[in-house]
Amino acid sequence: MGDKIGVFVCHCGINISSIVDVKKLTEYAKTLDGVIVSKDYKYMCSDVGANLIKDSIKKHKLNGVVIACCSPRMHEHTFRGVVEAGGMNAFNLEIANIREQCSWVHEDKVRAIEKAISLVRGAVAKARLLEPLQRSKISVTPEALVVGGGIAGIQAALDLADKGHNVYLVEKTPSIGGRMAQLDKTFPTLDCSGCILTPKMMEVKNNPNIELLTYSEVVEIDGSIGNYNVKIKKKARFVDVDKCTGCGDCVTSCRMKGHVDSEFDMNMGKTSAIYMPFPQAVPLKCTIDPDSCLMITKGKCGKEPLCVEACEANAIDFKQKDEEIEVKIGAIIVATGYDLMDPTSLYEYGYARSKDVITTLEMERLISSSGPTSGEILRPSNGEKPKSITFVLCVGSRDETQCTWCCRIGCMSALKQVYLLKEKLGDDIEMNVTYTDVRSFGKGYEEFYRNIRGMKTNFFRGRPSEIRNKDDHLTIDIFDTITNKLFEISTELVVLVPALVPRADADEFARLLRISQSADGFLLEAHPKLRPMDTFTGGVFIAGCCQGPKDIQDSVAQASGAASRAANILSKKELESEPLVSYVDEDYCSGCGTCVLVCPYTAIELIKEKDGTTHAKVNEALCMGCGACVASCLSGAMQQRGFKDNQLISMVDETI
Amino acid sequence: MIDSKDLDPNFKYEVAAEIGGANINRCFACGTCTAGCPVREIDEKYNPRKIIRMVLLGMRERVLKSDFIWLCSTCYTCYDRCPQDVQLTSIMTALKNIAAREGYIHPSFKEQARLVSKFGRLYEIEDFDNKKREKLGLPPIKKNFDDITKITKDTLPKGVIQ
Repeated sequence: MGDKIGVFVCHCGINISSIVDVKKLTEYAKTLDGVIVSKDYKYMCSDVGANLIKDSIKKHKLNGVVIACCSPRMHEHTFRGVVEAGGMNAFNLEIANIREQCSWVHEDKVRAIEKAISLVRGAVAKARLLEPLQRSKISVTPEALVVGGGIAGIQAALDLADKGHNVYLVEKTPSIGGRMAQLDKTFPTLDCSGCILTPKMMEVKNNPNIELLTYSEVVEIDGSIGNYNVKIKKKARFVDVDKCTGCGDCVTSCRMKGHVDSEFDMNMGKTSAIYMPFPQAVPLKCTIDPDSCLMITKGKCGKEPLCVEACEANAIDFKQKDEEIEVKIGAIIVATGYDLMDPTSLYEYGYARSKDVITTLEMERLISSSGPTSGEILRPSNGEKPKSITFVLCVGSRDETQCTWCCRIGCMSALKQVYLLKEKLGDDIEMNVTYTDVRSFGKGYEEFYRNIRGMKTNFFRGRPSEIRNKDDHLTIDIFDTITNKLFEISTELVVLVPALVPRADADEFARLLRISQSADGFLLEAHPKLRPMDTFTGGVFIAGCCQGPKDIQDSVAQASGAASRAANILSKKELESEPLVSYVDEDYCSGCGTCVLVCPYTAIELIKEKDGTTHAKVNEALCMGCGACVASCLSGAMQQRGFKDNQLISMVDETI
Repeated sequence: MIDSKDLDPNFKYEVAAEIGGANINRCFACGTCTAGCPVREIDEKYNPRKIIRMVLLGMRERVLKSDFIWLCSTCYTCYDRCPQDVQLTSIMTALKNIAAREGYIHPSFKEQARLVSKFGRLYEIEDFDNKKREKLGLPPIKKNFDDITKITKDTLPKGVIQ
């Protein structure tokens, strides 16, 4: 029990001391029961401050320390290390938050010192009752799961594999490559997207440390940092991947050939019911679409399925079933990417009313030489070359009624397409760009924008009010806010640059992983500046556009960062677990099971003893110390270390 | 030249405090409102984007004394299409209300108010009208509008009807 307590009051520069009279607080603390030393210092988190604490612990043989400073979220970890270095148990430390909860939120100095005094009094009361705790060890499974096979997932998997860890790379579609595989060229360097991506895809395929699970989905996750159990569903391709050579004979022979929308081509082109998403797919294996294959939907396909006839390798297997596998891993990297907003919701832009109103990603497939038109730019309505193209930026982005955020890639991807289209169609093609602001923030972006400005391109600063069909073309009302004039643009092809939105299944996936989302639906990082790849769930990291819109460069950087963060865990044999977890007093527990129901980490189970009694039992490795079970326990049998009822009640009594 | 010292930095808050005015600070001057405005199409003087910018800059007198705040046809196109949900139509109403309270009312509105107050509608009913109605088998319209006159007397701001 803490009967030799030291109180240390931090000025935090002037963050605290300009409002709270720190000298008065320090003197007051000396009058409290059990406090034998009380000191103040300008920066308690500095070396000098830390030494002050350590020396006091040694000199006065302290068994309890209260630090009145910033939020425990900032420096509790630091100070646990400090008191431990001073020779005291790290968990006999209590923080009184007199910055965020006092000096930063109050202006009245008289009442602020009153509040600071009561916060310190409460903290000392708790410190008197704190008990020394020991951290326990958890073994670590040194393997990783990467969810999402776009450029971020590929980079993260390669980095972890390079560090010597086994990686399961799970991709929902039949091939890795993600959005980047759909692009023709990348801004601002105009690197061919495929040329820089496919070597990495091949590396994934050839790396012995990576087990590639395409056309697969994560269906269940349990466990905790260092030791997760993951169930993965391998969807039936109806093609034996060991036999399939990727020759594509089945695709050309299929009865549904030319009748099935190609998802990879953003439905701009048609494919067969058995398909290869793109020529450089990894793995280079065909997949049967169960929604359009006649054998699967109708049970028959002519006399015999033509793909079976065409396949010399005998790879087609209509009996194939979904398979479920279970893997054990120590860390997870989520890189599930983004969707484009469906512009149909902006009725006035006419996306649903005209075939000649398309999105940037659809245009990307038209530009791509492996796309549905083999790289020819043709109007979807009549298959002719357009004489005029208009880009509309910020469609749904920076829009309080749609997506409030900036998509970060829209301006640059539109400028890039302007360049590529000029290259294909000549500088004389009429090109219009309507923009709200051009945000060319990255390295080399502004220079790229400058070059486009030098081409024959009309930049209108404003947002179109409406896009209308008129005869065989489209008209756009736009008010150029710089010349203060209304313009009517007549154009043959409109490219909308839609907002980037979270994947349609982001909510479901976040729940599965027990990670949070920000208000916009993207996955939430633990700290926007200092922990941008971490989540609040230990051992789960995020990379790429699932966390928020970003370009390829930033996605790759974040992926490497996430891999490095994950390797911090995977490279250790053992992790230390926080002892601030819950435990059951079995004598008081009636075995009602309420705690089992409320636990979000499935860390509690009911145990039936031989004498017929039941009681709850906490798996301390799984417990995250959220306290839900303690709050729900009817008998008080469930307690949390470091936050026991008697400690908290005494703290509350003294505080108020 | 406008002296920046003549700007009233509180004007936007004054507008924001009016019913429907709250979102005025969101405007990022994209011009979607003006691009779709049917009034602007026939009269260059009316430019909703410019009015909002003038309010945000604090050009209080110029806005309230101007003719153009009275030109909005309340078609709600700008309201519907504004990406920042500025709710322009409501702001135009708010501006008219402030202007009216300060005695700046466009003469055409004063005339309309006078007519409504006097005749209960925007035009006078004469014997000729009721005779025509009688021929068509319709009941006559009454010519006594004391109740309306009373309502307008109690509700219209001072100075609207001389």
